[in-house]
Amino acid sequence: MTQRTHVPAPRTPPEAVPPAPRDLVDVRGGPPAWTGLWFVLPFLAFYVLFLLWPAVVGLGYTFTDRSLAGGPVSFVGVDNWRESLTDPALHASLWNTLWFTLLSVPLMVLLALGLALLTDHARRLGWFLRFSFFAPFVLPVTVMTLIWGWMYNPSLGLFNGTLGRFGIEGPEWLFSEDTAMFSVVIATAWWQVGFNYLLYLAAMRSIPGDVYEAAAIDGAGAWQRVGRITLPMLTRTTALITVLQLIGSLRVFEQIYLMTMGGPNFSTRTVIQYVYDSGFVGLRIGLASSMAYIFMALIIVASIAQFRLFTRKEEA
Amino acid sequence: MRAHHPQNTTRDPSRGTAPGMGRRAFLGTAAGLGAAALGTTACAPPDTLLDGRTRLRQWNLFSGGDGLRMIEMHDAYRAEHPGIDLRATTFDWGAPFYTKVAMGAAGGRGADIATVHVSRLESLAPGRLLDPIDPDLLAGFGIDDTVVLPHIWEQCFFDGRLYAIPIDTHVLIQFYNLDVCRRAGLLDEEDRLVETTGLDDYLAMLREIRNVTGAYGLSVDTWNPWANFWALYRQQDGDIVFGEDDYEMDDDRALAAMEVLYRLSEEGLAPRHSMLADTAANLSNGRAGLMIHGNWEIPTLEATGVGFSATQFPNVFGNHRTRGDSHCYVFPHQRDRDPERTRAAAEYAAWMLRNSITWAEGGHVPAYQPVVESAEYDALHPQSEYREAAENVQFEPRAWFSGSAGRLQDEATGALTTLHQGTQTPEEALDQLKRTIRSLLSVPSPV
Amino acid sequence: MATTTEAPSAPNADAATRAPVRGRRRFPVGAAALYTVAVLAALAWLTPLLWAFATSVKPEGETTAMPPAWLTSNLTWEAYALVLGGGGIVRWTVNSLITTVIVTALTLVLCVLAAYGFSRFDFRGRPWLFALVIGGILIPPQVLIVPQFVLMTQMGLVDTYWGIALPQVVAPVFVFVLKRFFDAIPRDYEDAARLDGAGPVRILWNVVLPLSRPVLTAVGIFTFIGAWNNFLWPFIVVNDPQMMTLPVGLGTVTGGYGIQYARDMASAVLGAFPLLIVFLLFQRHVVTGVAGAGIKG
Repeated sequence: MTQRTHVPAPRTPPEAVPPAPRDLVDVRGGPPAWTGLWFVLPFLAFYVLFLLWPAVVGLGYTFTDRSLAGGPVSFVGVDNWRESLTDPALHASLWNTLWFTLLSVPLMVLLALGLALLTDHARRLGWFLRFSFFAPFVLPVTVMTLIWGWMYNPSLGLFNGTLGRFGIEGPEWLFSEDTAMFSVVIATAWWQVGFNYLLYLAAMRSIPGDVYEAAAIDGAGAWQRVGRITLPMLTRTTALITVLQLIGSLRVFEQIYLMTMGGPNFSTRTVIQYVYDSGFVGLRIGLASSMAYIFMALIIVASIAQFRLFTRKEEA
Repeated sequence: MRAHHPQNTTRDPSRGTAPGMGRRAFLGTAAGLGAAALGTTACAPPDTLLDGRTRLRQWNLFSGGDGLRMIEMHDAYRAEHPGIDLRATTFDWGAPFYTKVAMGAAGGRGADIATVHVSRLESLAPGRLLDPIDPDLLAGFGIDDTVVLPHIWEQCFFDGRLYAIPIDTHVLIQFYNLDVCRRAGLLDEEDRLVETTGLDDYLAMLREIRNVTGAYGLSVDTWNPWANFWALYRQQDGDIVFGEDDYEMDDDRALAAMEVLYRLSEEGLAPRHSMLADTAANLSNGRAGLMIHGNWEIPTLEATGVGFSATQFPNVFGNHRTRGDSHCYVFPHQRDRDPERTRAAAEYAAWMLRNSITWAEGGHVPAYQPVVESAEYDALHPQSEYREAAENVQFEPRAWFSGSAGRLQDEATGALTTLHQGTQTPEEALDQLKRTIRSLLSVPSPV
Repeated sequence: MATTTEAPSAPNADAATRAPVRGRRRFPVGAAALYTVAVLAALAWLTPLLWAFATSVKPEGETTAMPPAWLTSNLTWEAYALVLGGGGIVRWTVNSLITTVIVTALTLVLCVLAAYGFSRFDFRGRPWLFALVIGGILIPPQVLIVPQFVLMTQMGLVDTYWGIALPQVVAPVFVFVLKRFFDAIPRDYEDAARLDGAGPVRILWNVVLPLSRPVLTAVGIFTFIGAWNNFLWPFIVVNDPQMMTLPVGLGTVTGGYGIQYARDMASAVLGAFPLLIVFLLFQRHVVTGVAGAGIKG
C-alpha cells in the first residue's frame, strides 16, 4: 500500500529479454489441462477476494449514502459523483498531488543520477556511499517523518538553528503554505531516492568497460566520457526510473499525512488523504468511494499513457 | 554483471540444485515461522487471559499536561485494582483520535472505554458506534445525577439513553508569566494581572509586555485558533444558527473577531506560528508574558518551574466569555461485549470521578461535585483564580460537524491559521469559513 | 589497460581485474575533488540519522537549546530506557515481524505457483485470466482502502494479524516478474525430470525454483521491505494499539508527556534499527536484488 510496495515493477530492457522460450505453453503430452489452473487458483482466490471484490463493491458504494457509522443505507443515484466532481477541495487535492509529482519526479531522477555517478567514480568508497545513499530507503515512513519534522521545527530545529547561527532567519518549512510542499518533497527525496539510485548504479555497472577504454584511447576526458557514453547509454534506465517514480509520486499519501496532516490550510492535502478524510474521518463511505474511483481512473489513464510513451521510446 | 540472467545460472547444471538446498531451508524456516505466528495468535487480538486478570483497554487524547495527571491517577488505580490489567493509550489529539475511535467501533473491537468531548457525542453516532451505558450499573458505583451538575448530566443523554459519563469542564484562560509581567509593571501587590477592558487597552498591554520580552506579548496556539475565535465572537454575542439548508452568522462580529487574531500576529504581538508544546514554551522561556490557552496547560507550566498565574480569558469585547467543553467517558461499540469488562469499565470511570481532585490539579474543573466542593479544591492555585470562568463558558452550536476536533473546527482551522500567518485578510478568511459551513450544511449527515 | 588521469574514476564493469592497476596510480587533483564531494554528499545524507541519534542521547532539557549542539556533555540513555520501558515499541516490532513474515511467505508461495501455472500450462481461459491478473497491476491499492476496510469489518478481521496481512499478499506485479523469469528457463531439465517420472510440483520444487534464486531473492526482499514499512493499510485496519505495526504505532500513539524530543528521536532510532541491521547484513543481496528487479526482471 505504500508507494514502495509496488515500486519494483520491472520492464525488461530488450537486451536483457531472454530468448523466447521454445514453447510458451507446454502442451506436448504434458499433464492434463486442469493442472495449470490448480497452480493459479490460490493466487486468483486472494486476488478476487481482496482486490477485485472490493473494487466492484466499492463501485456499488458510490451510488449509496453508506456511512461508516452504520445505519440504514439508501440508493442516492449519482449524487456522490456529482458532489465529488464539483468539489473544489477534491480539485485542490488533485492539484496538490500533481504538484508534488511535478516537483518530486525530476528531483528524484536527477539526484539519483548524480549520486550514482559519484558512487560509480569514487569506487574506493563504494560500500560507504552505497550505504549512505540507500539506507534511508529502508526506514519506515514514520521514522523519516519524526526525524525530518524535528529538523524542520521552525523555532527549535536543526535547520533554522544552524541558519540562526549565521544570523539568517530560516523559513517556517512545514508550517507555511509557501514552503510546506517543497519541504515535503525534499524529505521524500532524501528518503526514497535510494531505489532510483541503485537502478542507475546497476545500469552504469553494466556498461562494458572497453567502451570507456576505447574512448580514453581517443583522448576523451572524464567529463566527456560521462557525457558521450554514460548518459546516452542510460537513456532507457532513465525512462524506466521516470515512469516508476511518476506512478509512485502520484500515489503519495503517508509522509505528507504524517508531516503536515495536509496543512497548512490544506495546501498539501493529497487525493488519497482526501479519500481518507471523507471516508474514515467524515464517515461517508459512498462519497469517499466515488472520489477514489475518479482518482483511480486518472491513475490508470496516466499509467497507460506513460506505458505507451515508454514502449515507444524503447522501440526508437 | 551479476548472474541474474537465467541463462547464466543454467549454464552450470551442477549449480542447479545445490543452491536450492539453502533456499529450501529458508522457505521452510519462513513457513515455519509464519505458521508459528498464526498458530499462536489465531484471529483475535491476544488477550491477557494468561494471567487471569480482566483486561481493560482505555483510549484517550490527553497528550498535554493533563496526560501527566491521568498517568498519575492510573498508577493509583492500578495499585488498588490488582485484578485489572489497565492498558491506557494516548493517541494524537483531535481527528486522528476520533477517527480511531470510530473505526475501532465500526470494526467491532473498539476500546473498552474511551475519553471524548461531550460536544462530539452526536458525531459518534450513539447507538451504533457507541454502546449505551446502564445507569443502574453506574449508580451502583456511586455515580448518578445527584453528584454531577444537572446541565452537564443532561448532555450525556441521546434519545433518552445514557451514552457518556462526564469527567470535567475545561475552558480557555489567560496565563501570565509573573516575572515578565512584574517587570512590565502589570501586577498588583498580590501578583494579580491588571484588568484591561476592550481591544485597544489589551493591545496596549501587549505592547508594554513586548518591550520587556523583546519578542512577543502574547503566546497563542496559532494552529488551533477556532477556540479563540469562538470566544471572541461570543464576547460580542455573535452566534451561528444552523437550519436545514441554511445558517445564520453575524459577519461584522465574525470579522471583528478575526481582525483581532490577524492584528496579533501582524503587529508582532503574537507569533505567526506556534503549535503544541511551542505555545507553553514561549511563555515559560519569557518570549511572551501572556498566554491564552486551555486550563490543561497548568501541569506543563508547573513542570517548567516558571513563576506563573492565571486569570480569565481577557475582556476584549466587554466581557470575559470563553470557549469550553467537557471530557467524558464513553463505551465504543463492541461486537461481543463482555459483561465483566463492561462492569470493570463502569467501575473504573466511577473511581476516576471520585478521585478527580488529581484531575483538578491538571487544571480541569471536575464534574464530580463532591470534589469541587471539597476544601482540597479550594486550596488549589491558580485553579481558584479562574473559577468564575466556568460561568462564562460558551459551548458551540450542536450539529453533527461541530465540537472539539470536529469537521467544522477542523475546516475552520484552515481558514483561521491564515490570519496568524498573514496570508489571508479577515475578509478572505471569513469567505473561506462561510464556504466551509455552507458545504458542511449541504452534505448529508453521515450519522 | 589504458587509463587516464582519474584512475579511480574510470568506470569499469570488471572492477576486480582493475584493482591492482588502480592501486599503483597517483592520486590527482580531479580525484581528490571527486572524493571530497562524494564524502560531503554522503555525510549530508547521513545527517538526519546522526542528528536523530545526537538528540536521542541528550537529556530532555538540552534538546531544545539554541543554537543546536551536536554533542552533549551529559550523555544519557534515559530516553531509550523510557521508550523501551513503555513497551509499545517492543510490541509493535513483534507485530511487524509476525505480519511481515506472513506477507512475505504467502506472497512468495502464491506468486510462484501462479507464475509457474501461467508459464508452463495451458488451460481453459488462461490468456483471459493472465490478462486479468496483469490488469491488476494498474489498480492502485491505495484507492481501495474504503471497501477493503468494510470487507474486513464484515469478515471480523479488523485489529487482527490476518487483517493486516491478507490484503497485502496480492501482488500481481510479482506474478508478472516471476512468469517472465520462468519463461526464460530452458525446458531441457524439466523434460529430463519428467522422463524420470517427476510430477509438476516436484519439477517446480526441484528444477525451476533452484534456478530462480536471484529473482526469488529480489521478490522476497522487496516484499519484506514493503510489508515492514507499509503504513497506509495497517493504519486503516488496526485501531487497537496492541495490534499496531511499528510504523503505525510510532505515528499514532503519543506518550502523554508533552515535550519529548529526545524520546521521539530514541523511538525513531529504535524504529530504524531492525531494517538497518538487515540491510547491513544483506547489503549485497539488497543491492543486487534491486538491480535484478529493475534491470533483469
